Amino acid sequence: MRIAMTLFAASAMTLAACDTQTSDAAAPTSEAAKDAAGDKTIASGLTAEDSKFADAAKASGLDATLAGPGPYTVLVPVNAAFDKLPAGQADTLMKPESRAQLTKVLTGHILPGEILAADIGKAIDIGKGKASLATFGGGTITATKDGDNIVLTDSAGGKASISGSDERRSNGVVHHVDAILIPG
Amino acid sequence: MSKFLLALGAAALAITAPAIAQPEGKGGGNKGGGQQKAERGGGNQGGGNAGRGNGGGRETRGNPGNGGGQMARQGGGNGRGNDQARGPDRVIEKARGNNRVDIARGKGRNDDNGRIVGDDRRDFDRDSNVLAIARNFGGFGGRYDNCPPGLAKKDNGCMPPGQARKYLGSRLQQNYANSLIPYQYRSWYRDNDDYFYRYGDNNIYRVSRSNNLIDGIIPLLSGSGYGGGYYALGDQFPSSYDFYNVPYQYRSFYGDTSDYRYRYGDGAIYRINSGSGVVDGIVALLAGDLGVGTRLPVGYDTYNVPFAYRDRYADSADNWYRYNDGYIYQVDPKTRLISAVIDAIV
Repeated sequence: MRIAMTLFAASAMTLAACDTQTSDAAAPTSEAAKDAAGDKTIASGLTAEDSKFADAAKASGLDATLAGPGPYTVLVPVNAAFDKLPAGQADTLMKPESRAQLTKVLTGHILPGEILAADIGKAIDIGKGKASLATFGGGTITATKDGDNIVLTDSAGGKASISGSDERRSNGVVHHVDAILIPG
Repeated sequence: MSKFLLALGAAALAITAPAIAQPEGKGGGNKGGGQQKAERGGGNQGGGNAGRGNGGGRETRGNPGNGGGQMARQGGGNGRGNDQARGPDRVIEKARGNNRVDIARGKGRNDDNGRIVGDDRRDFDRDSNVLAIARNFGGFGGRYDNCPPGLAKKDNGCMPPGQARKYLGSRLQQNYANSLIPYQYRSWYRDNDDYFYRYGDNNIYRVSRSNNLIDGIIPLLSGSGYGGGYYALGDQFPSSYDFYNVPYQYRSFYGDTSDYRYRYGDGAIYRINSGSGVVDGIVALLAGDLGVGTRLPVGYDTYNVPFAYRDRYADSADNWYRYNDGYIYQVDPKTRLISAVIDAIV
């Protein structure tokens, strides 16, 4: 069951990582970080709840990216997010002739490096209420807070909330989002 | 959303081919069908006081412009750009053994083979007849914001279709001879004893030192727009760009095999089926966003250093650290200038 993420929870989950940025407190070593991430890659760590995203990644050929060295931060739309698309659109995206468009949509959910929810929250605070995140889709998405939640907004104004965050993988980190973001 | 639907409906459809799940060719080095000699590690990058531009290719993120180290001083640069991004001359040195990268400052230095790199590209190219050309350099426009309508298409940069193939085997155009590749790509493609790289018209040209002829062309961020220009699974990879051009930092992961070739293009490393020549997978995404001497672009406000490196590279009042394309960069928080490649992690 997916647990709604709160900034408070995210902060607690990533306390050690945050400390490394602000104090001399015991920091995770490289080996410790590796252990915490486990052996699963982003691709192999996708579950049945991510099946539609996994199918889309495979259809676009990006499953190889998600199994590669990374590191990436991936915003994985939950299955229900695909259901929010207008009728027939998800099926259209999965057709072979739509691969270029599908690739563009999916790369808009992949970010360079490893970004924790707490990192986004901190950037939002520093940015006086918003932070911009570069994606491999070519543009940026804007992160804001709505109460304790982090909301991501694409260039067209579409919004997605992070519904589960900071899932560590050997080649990056996964956050789940409740809607599909559309690259500009 | 309706905009997206319309765009989707109107999108040009890609050539289709069966998607074949294949194991990745990791750790192969440049073996099998590799067309380029493995380049030596530790190549040094020449910096310079480039007048770099903010080209209009990407809507919201900064673009590398003309990276010619001497262009601004010669008055031949494109004149556009971000004055704040200028900094002192820098030479990046990658120390052997520990992947640690340090900065040296100065007018230039010798690379592993005694060739002077950095400011004095006259010496750098002293064995090349591009020297005379460089002296007459007059500058050129920036990125694909200067592409004529209709030429800003996928897989050809600003070049008319078929033009890239024509350039292969020819001498470098005069106005590109003095144009170093954008800062963001200098760790990807390093000059060595066999080749040097120059930039122009949205392409990186690999020039053979043995005959001063172009033997490889790498299109950068094609005119259809970064992210919009990815080759899709099943697309035929253009033969004009088909040489081993995997960025240096990823070569240990993606070496050619008898079954697959790996090629960089349009923001990604593609796995190409050797038999059919079609894109079989997208094995890595590259942003091409950060480079020493440039300003931290929009979209990198958030700390993104991989976990395993956070104990070493934690943001502070004096330094920020950001990850991009296999490297961790050090950033001055006050100026947002990227001051160093501090570590190579892939």
